[in-house]
Amino acid sequence: MIRESYRQKSDTELVKSSLEGDKQAFSEIVKRYQGMVARTVKAMLGDSVFSEDIGQDVFIKLYYSLSGFRGEAKLSTYIQKIAVNLTLNEIKRRKRFFSTFSQKGNNEMYEFEIADHDTEEKKDARELVGKALKKLDPKFRVIVVMRMLQGYSTKETAEILDIPIGTVLSRLSRAQEQMRIILEKM
Amino acid sequence: MEISELKALIVRSLDSSSDPGEASRLLEEAGVSYSFGAGFQDKVLERIASTGNAIVREMESVRNLNNIFYRIALSGVAAIVILLISIFMMQGSLSVDAFLGLGSSYDESLLYLLTGN
Repeated sequence: MIRESYRQKSDTELVKSSLEGDKQAFSEIVKRYQGMVARTVKAMLGDSVFSEDIGQDVFIKLYYSLSGFRGEAKLSTYIQKIAVNLTLNEIKRRKRFFSTFSQKGNNEMYEFEIADHDTEEKKDARELVGKALKKLDPKFRVIVVMRMLQGYSTKETAEILDIPIGTVLSRLSRAQEQMRIILEKM
Repeated sequence: MEISELKALIVRSLDSSSDPGEASRLLEEAGVSYSFGAGFQDKVLERIASTGNAIVREMESVRNLNNIFYRIALSGVAAIVILLISIFMMQGSLSVDAFLGLGSSYDESLLYLLTGN
């Protein structure tokens, strides 16, 4: 009954309640947007337990920055920005780690976890997308994830990544070219 | 969805003129979906509670340090006041000479003390 009442609240109402210390309201925000965050984080970093930690970090960062959310942009855009920033930071951190401790240098530790209950066809589809994303440069990968998996328009992608629309379009074009080459080889 | 169809869909979805929403929906239907494990919400709330406790502990230790600082500062001020009163009572003034303990010394006796003549 209580859950249902939170489900009906708007994002703005949930943010306001969360700022007043209502944990259930924040829990509803997590529930509402965890799928979106999972798509960004897991598609960018690979499907592993580490990705889940980054996903948790996204919501913890959101919790402590809610007072700075002025409602000018949609809450989903705000969360997506946090997710993208934390994910790109994690990729940089992993690259630094591997360039220091590994001979292979640019190995990013991108992992796959294919759920057992998936059909063979679905497993193949996820593996194909995962492997293709892994081979893309992170700056193209993030564009592909925003467009292909999150379904954002060019304008929305530019807003989330804080880059001009022209840059999104040129990166999208180059990402498409790279993706075509990668998929041909698979 | 066949792998060849999937590949074509991926490439097509990156076309700037394509409908991004439709491509993401078709990919999800094909099995390209991501989710966090069970209990994700609870884990987030647990971590918020634990980081919140850590912040409270940190704030308490800062507050304790502030209290200690005020006590030390108050004791220092009290000691300085007592020192000033005692100097005033012994020397009769608060001049630099009085601070140096020279307030009641005559120049001659000081000269005698220094030269021995």
